[in-house]
Amino acid sequence: MNSPELGAAGQPNRLPSTGLIDRSRVLPFRFDGTRYTGFAGDTLASALLAAGVRLVGRSFKYHRPRGILTAGSEEPNALVELRGGARREANTRATVAELFDGLEARSQNRWPSLSFDVGALSSLLSPVLIAGFYYKTFMWPAALWEKLYEPAIRRAAGLGRATHEADPDTYEKAYAFCDVLIIGAGAAGLTAALGAASGGARVILCDEDFVLGGRLNSERQEIDGLAGHAWARQVEAELLANPDVRILRRTTVFGVYDGGMSGARTFGALERVSDHLPIPPSHQPRQRLWRLIAKQAVLASGALERPLVFGGNDRPGIMMASAVRTFVNRFAVVPGQRAALFTTTDDGWKSAFDLAAAGVQVTAIIDARGVVSPELLKAAKGIGTRILCGAQVVDARGTRALERITVREIAGPLSHFSVDTLAMSGGWNPSIGLCTHLGGRPRWSQQIAAFVPGDTPRGMTVAGAAAGSFSLADALREGALAGAAAVQAIGLGPVKPFGARASDEATAVWPLWCVSESRAKSFVDFQNDVTREDVALAAREGFRSVELLKRYTTLGMATDQGRASSINGHAIMAALTERTIPELGTTTSRPPYTPVAVAALAGTHRGKHFRPTRLCAAHGWAQERGATFMESGEWLRAQWFALPSEADWLSIVTREVNAVRSNVGVCDVSTLGKIDIQGRDAAVFLDRLYINLFSSLPVGKVRYGLMLREDGLVMDDGTSARLAAHHYLMSTTTANAGRVMRHLEYARQVLWPQLDVQICSVSEQWAQFAVAGPNARQLLERLLGDTIDVSRSAFPYLACAAFAWRGVPARLFRISFSGELAYELAVPSRYGDATIRAIMQAGEPFGVTPYGIEALNAMRIEKGHVTGNELNGTTTAADLGFAPMMSKKKDFIGRVLARRPGLSHPDRPALIGIKPIDKSARLYAGAHLLTLGALPTLENDQGHVTSVAFSPTLGHWIGLGLLARGRARLRERIRAHSPVRGGDVEVEVVSPVFYDREGARLQS
Amino acid sequence: MSNPPLTARAPFTGLPFSSANGRGVLAIDRDGLGIATILAHKGQLNALTNRVRERFGIELPRGPYRASAGDVAFAGIAPGSWLVTSEIDSHRFGASLKEGLGAMAAVADQSSGYAVLRLTGPKLREALAKMLPVDLHPRSFRTGDVVATLASHVGATLWRLQDTTDGSPVFEVAVYRSFAASFWHSLASSAAEFGFVPGG
Repeated sequence: MNSPELGAAGQPNRLPSTGLIDRSRVLPFRFDGTRYTGFAGDTLASALLAAGVRLVGRSFKYHRPRGILTAGSEEPNALVELRGGARREANTRATVAELFDGLEARSQNRWPSLSFDVGALSSLLSPVLIAGFYYKTFMWPAALWEKLYEPAIRRAAGLGRATHEADPDTYEKAYAFCDVLIIGAGAAGLTAALGAASGGARVILCDEDFVLGGRLNSERQEIDGLAGHAWARQVEAELLANPDVRILRRTTVFGVYDGGMSGARTFGALERVSDHLPIPPSHQPRQRLWRLIAKQAVLASGALERPLVFGGNDRPGIMMASAVRTFVNRFAVVPGQRAALFTTTDDGWKSAFDLAAAGVQVTAIIDARGVVSPELLKAAKGIGTRILCGAQVVDARGTRALERITVREIAGPLSHFSVDTLAMSGGWNPSIGLCTHLGGRPRWSQQIAAFVPGDTPRGMTVAGAAAGSFSLADALREGALAGAAAVQAIGLGPVKPFGARASDEATAVWPLWCVSESRAKSFVDFQNDVTREDVALAAREGFRSVELLKRYTTLGMATDQGRASSINGHAIMAALTERTIPELGTTTSRPPYTPVAVAALAGTHRGKHFRPTRLCAAHGWAQERGATFMESGEWLRAQWFALPSEADWLSIVTREVNAVRSNVGVCDVSTLGKIDIQGRDAAVFLDRLYINLFSSLPVGKVRYGLMLREDGLVMDDGTSARLAAHHYLMSTTTANAGRVMRHLEYARQVLWPQLDVQICSVSEQWAQFAVAGPNARQLLERLLGDTIDVSRSAFPYLACAAFAWRGVPARLFRISFSGELAYELAVPSRYGDATIRAIMQAGEPFGVTPYGIEALNAMRIEKGHVTGNELNGTTTAADLGFAPMMSKKKDFIGRVLARRPGLSHPDRPALIGIKPIDKSARLYAGAHLLTLGALPTLENDQGHVTSVAFSPTLGHWIGLGLLARGRARLRERIRAHSPVRGGDVEVEVVSPVFYDREGARLQS
Repeated sequence: MSNPPLTARAPFTGLPFSSANGRGVLAIDRDGLGIATILAHKGQLNALTNRVRERFGIELPRGPYRASAGDVAFAGIAPGSWLVTSEIDSHRFGASLKEGLGAMAAVADQSSGYAVLRLTGPKLREALAKMLPVDLHPRSFRTGDVVATLASHVGATLWRLQDTTDGSPVFEVAVYRSFAASFWHSLASSAAEFGFVPGG
């Protein structure tokens, strides 16, 4: 079929008229470079089958030829690579890939070609590739594991190739709320939705398919005289007309989670918005991750047909009986020309009837059961086929696809049938994965030989085939009941009684877990190439629990989680170890039910939108000034302001520091946390939070304060200003703003609810600028004019004031982080941009220099001020030299535990300064402090360097550090040893205050 | 030097977006709104309630609800705490509120602290569903309801106003001002498929 003919001409297996496809829309596509056509409404699998393509992939371990086994999301074999370039995606199931115009698909895990695959030689090695072969074969010598064995195995095994390019598409996340979530839109799901909607509930109906109806689209059954699929369309129209019903197609509910108000549950669902299109339409995501919050849920996820385990059961052409009906009835495709059926169930026979109706020669019906209902036998007579009851298929042969089957009749002879298609039906496994996501355990039903829901998550009921009720009449009835019950449970209703009827049908099942006579490889888990012999080996070697079996053989560990296959493996193990299936138990299905792309979980939070960014009010101004920004928590802050001629960051920072020390500079300090504290007990409240007294602080003054955690270690530092008798303004470090606010809320609400204190974050209300340097006062006089007297006498160090300035409320604080004469001016953030421009204008005659946090950091190190590097959650107030500040007149948070022996030990590290003996040497933060001559070992470690900076003022690098007994070791020579960044520098221990120790400059 | 009044800068000024055609979601920057947080002093709740009733003709809501009269509205955001807005007066509103209620409550001007958007449009709920873990169905979140929540990782306070005459929902959302650009990005990308129209 290499010619690109239009329409059915290139589709030899397409039936002439039936099916739920749109024959007016011909869709060309390529598979392994060959051009084919299909129709709108096809999946890639149905289009390939229509074109006569049966071999579509190679298996994971043995590179065996594989075809299409199922027609749904449980497909283990037909995994293909879709699209190209950045959109190349691996391991897509051809059975759920909707066909689109120009679809490019490739087979996987083969070389050089699908039909001739060198890797298939590994089948010859299969004696060593048995279960547990990793552990047995490649154990010795160990050194070869990483270099040889693992790369070789990884090349040979595995499936598709991922792209290495960035994903060009977008993904998004959304929330939806409903009264009743219905999972699955087959017969049971549709009647549940009708019932719930008629009772006034808000309903969300999800189905992973692109057409609602589930098996109704695949079977020839009728409801109320209508074809099943036509009835589904009618119900769909009715639901769509209801504004309280939301239908999510192409949406897989992949997990059940806790969370949601008043007993609701959260469900994760993935909507494949644009997977069926070549590229997503503009402003549409590729996929959307839903969090569905539902008060009640109806699980109507149906059931998956179980394969039969016999020799060669993975040959292309062997297909689930239900999938055969789907291809014939829904897609109008026959899987072959000469077919047989191997079944242990009544409904498997339907496949033979449907194939015959489609004109396919049905050579034989092989039913492993000795006795079959007379109705089935009678119906089978009509299609003129050979019926073998009590018989089993023992072998299936064919080079690239099925050619011949061998059948053993009970104690009878072997007979051979020449067929290209074998439909198999081994019973049905209810799709109950979601029931176990919150710890529920399934229950074994002897009647249907399958696990059915045991305890389900609260608020979830199961209906139809998912509950083990396999007839259409039961599905319709149970769905309607579940919908009505859900509505009743949330106090809505009444519901419209449901009257649709379908005829009863035979659904008897008999379990045949494996054909023991088969000698050839009999696959239990198709996707992971686990055979009956692997299960037997595990049993022989003692890996007999289902969990050990799973890990030893990888049974059920593929992306399909062994959905259709695991039970066969467990049953074989049970028989081998003479236990019942309930005794053996089963493995637990966990989210996600089907694979979910990480991109969908990330949604729009990619790249620089990974988390929100906070921008200062004057950010735009800083950008105009050429600022380089750095992240400080969520904030972006100006790191420095390079002049056009400057390239070296150290020279920029040096210029900025020198400008502040000798003239005047301005720095945006808006990011510091600001907490407004009011109430009659505000002063008491602060006394209990800080280690030092604030009730004694006069109105109009600011004081530096330090607060401890309950465990006695330092939490944060900052200044608090007393704006009025019962009104303080606390400042926190940028990094700790949120944490301190929480701490205060906890103290206020939990520790001392009796206090009259109200707190409120005003961090965002105020933009704040530090104006620092010998000319700061002159600049402010120019800026503020007569508004406020900023002279030394009227506005001394640590004064504060609130006043109106140019029509806005302003606050001024005489505090200094740089150690220079400095003021901080705060204005409402809306005016932050205008204010920084006004400061620059007022400072023009002095040549005011904007400076960034790198210069700020250098200056605070020169002054020995601590920041996050020193307030690192392991230091005490005493370590940092604040012991004298700890008030003895009052209690405060952390006081008691700060006196623990470990926290007051004389050997504790203390804050010190260091300067290199060789003044040209560079220091590194993080370097370990060692005595001279000591080996760099853990036992000899004396502390570490917390912060370093090049001091423009001193002309060499300086550092702060935490050194054992540091304060007693001034003038001692030690080493700063940095094995990571290189360097072993001899340094002198000095006071942490390098500059203006008397504070004359900041008080000037 | 001269002292001209300072010029305010609106938080959502000049922010980029890209959108499909259409008018699915409309957003108006409410810059200039008077905003203040008030927290009742201990034991003053009844006095505060009475004063608010006298002065504004508003029954102080107990719970996450918003009550308005004239230009002023009180939205409950936490026990004993309200976000108060005024259509006029910007930062002067906080000062006047402090004058009127200061004896019963701690008042803090937040006219610059929050960036507020008024949102409307026939597809607004669909766009907000991509940002907020809140059920905004008209029967579940009624006119006057308030919620403090997270919108795309950004803390947000949201309240519902009267629908427009053509039946479109109207919400206002307040975020801390520094998050304006990030919030805008989330909103614009959530609304892009429906047609996003800044400025109404």
